Amino acid sequence: MHTRKISHLSSLWTILKKEVIDNARDRRTLTTMGVSIVIFPLLIFGLLWYLDKTVKEETDLVNADAVKLPVIGAEYAPNLMTWLRQNNIEIVDAPDDPEASISQGEHRVILLISENYPEAFRKGTTAPLRLIHDSSITGLEKIGYSTVRNAINAYSGQISSLRLMARGVNPEVVRPIRINTSDVATPQARSGQFLTMMPYLMIMFIMAGGMYLAIDTTAGEREKGSLEPLLTQPVKRHIVLLAKLGATVVFSSLTLLLVLSGLALAFKYMPVDLISISVSLGSILKIFVACLPFVFAGCALMVLVASYTKSYKEAQSYLGMVMMIPTLPLMSLAFISPEPSLSNMWIPALSQGMIIIETLKGEHIPMNLIGVSMICSLLLATVLAWFAIKLYQRERILG
Amino acid sequence: MIEVLDLKKCFGAVKAIDGVSFSAQDGKITGLLGPNGAGKSTTLRILYTAFRPDSGKALIDNRDVTVDKLAVRTSIGVLTHGAGIYERLTARENVRYFGELHGMSGKELDMRVDELAELLDMNDFISRRAKGFSQGQKTKVALARALVHKPRNVLLDEPTNGLDIMATRGLREVIQRLKDAGHCVLFSSHVMQEVAALCDEIVIIANGTVAASGSPDSLRQETNEANLEDAFVKAIGSEEGLI
Repeated sequence: MHTRKISHLSSLWTILKKEVIDNARDRRTLTTMGVSIVIFPLLIFGLLWYLDKTVKEETDLVNADAVKLPVIGAEYAPNLMTWLRQNNIEIVDAPDDPEASISQGEHRVILLISENYPEAFRKGTTAPLRLIHDSSITGLEKIGYSTVRNAINAYSGQISSLRLMARGVNPEVVRPIRINTSDVATPQARSGQFLTMMPYLMIMFIMAGGMYLAIDTTAGEREKGSLEPLLTQPVKRHIVLLAKLGATVVFSSLTLLLVLSGLALAFKYMPVDLISISVSLGSILKIFVACLPFVFAGCALMVLVASYTKSYKEAQSYLGMVMMIPTLPLMSLAFISPEPSLSNMWIPALSQGMIIIETLKGEHIPMNLIGVSMICSLLLATVLAWFAIKLYQRERILG
Repeated sequence: MIEVLDLKKCFGAVKAIDGVSFSAQDGKITGLLGPNGAGKSTTLRILYTAFRPDSGKALIDNRDVTVDKLAVRTSIGVLTHGAGIYERLTARENVRYFGELHGMSGKELDMRVDELAELLDMNDFISRRAKGFSQGQKTKVALARALVHKPRNVLLDEPTNGLDIMATRGLREVIQRLKDAGHCVLFSSHVMQEVAALCDEIVIIANGTVAASGSPDSLRQETNEANLEDAFVKAIGSEEGLI
């Protein structure tokens, strides 16, 4: 009879090591992690590129370059031409077939002035103009069309005022309402919108990274019939559970690290001028460390739920829903954008979300607030792990 | 050595076992025979510390299975019902894993795994990942895993389930060798011929209690039946559930 001293720690290490090796050979786990390192930067890359481009071009179009406007029959309306030039619109020669050139995309908008225009203008009736454009064009290209249209409308408004005044009528009589709008959106605000997505994505990836392992090591192991032999080994059940939780944490945090590296890469190779986001090695590490307690809590939650369920399928469908829970507090980030304070930094997921956003913005968060966030999430993790251990100690775990 | 004294266990309103007593000696093969649902697995599960009995006592090498759980677990090797192995690990890694959980390591463990691979005729597939193994190969891995720490007491729950004739013969040989090496072997089965062919002692369980027990010869005498099969049927009181 062999009597060997078996320490809890070495048992824990043996089980953890086995679960990590076992799952490193699982294609689903690897796919999730592969996706996190490839898709995440691409996603950010694409989003930033689009935002950057939009903001830049909009600024250019509105402020700098004159809109080129081909005009047919410019000689019929010299005053209008002067007005348009004053409004930063350059009058150029029109192509022979205006409609074709619009539909082929050579020009965005062409103005057609008919020979009836001067006659109608002189008589004081409505003078016809024709603007040819392609309404299926959206986005920035539309700006040229609306600039021209707005300029012509302004001209029309001015003429109508003059005509009314010539007849002794106050022009304001026919303009009962005037709307003044002011748009205060800045590029920073746009990047803010973009930033609120970051915590959401990161927390989803943290959960997804550990999900298969959480299922496999509990519900999956029971379904395959290997749990009972494992539980007849000279290892305490809470050690078995903690080792499995540990392995889940390893994969979750690895996924988080990959996501953060992806983020750093995306920013490094992305010329972003308008969006001020700071990503340095320091901030990546800060986010990683601050999120670790949440990784524990999320993994404990998944292990708890997976221990409760009876089969792999059941665990999978429950965990699909459970993964949504940590994203609920994050919703408030999009709506009310709270400032980090003692009253909200104790909330797991939300506090990590704020740490991610503020750190990426390059703003400082007091260490005590980060401490509150970490301690509260760790507490939650401990409570969840305790419940999971209790579940694991029931006889019913063996089904 | 295994001693079981008046074990009782309920699952809700269902009495799984209702006063089971028997003992299994070292160097002998003891068979738990009974129809499906008679309480064989529940008895074994209490013995290998997965379940707690409601009342009664179970001792393995004089250690109480409800008190000294970890020590009991080091002294038993268990082949559970429908034992699953890890598909993404090789056969060797599967066996090594359980060896490590018993505190074995390094050369000692490697040599033991080689020894078992030889004994159970596993050399063809010992280095292959377990995905796609036949039922016979899986059972061999599970058995090697149960024996890796050289346990004095070996508990096997329906070990021949799903095995073909050759694999069954191989298993019988292994069980015989364990007996010769002085181990206490306790196995459950609902296959009469198997129990008759192997066991020194037979414990017949029906409806959660021991209906009869003793050596095959004494069972025949007790029931006044020349044929062991008739003796079983008489002891159980029905032909239901036996093969």
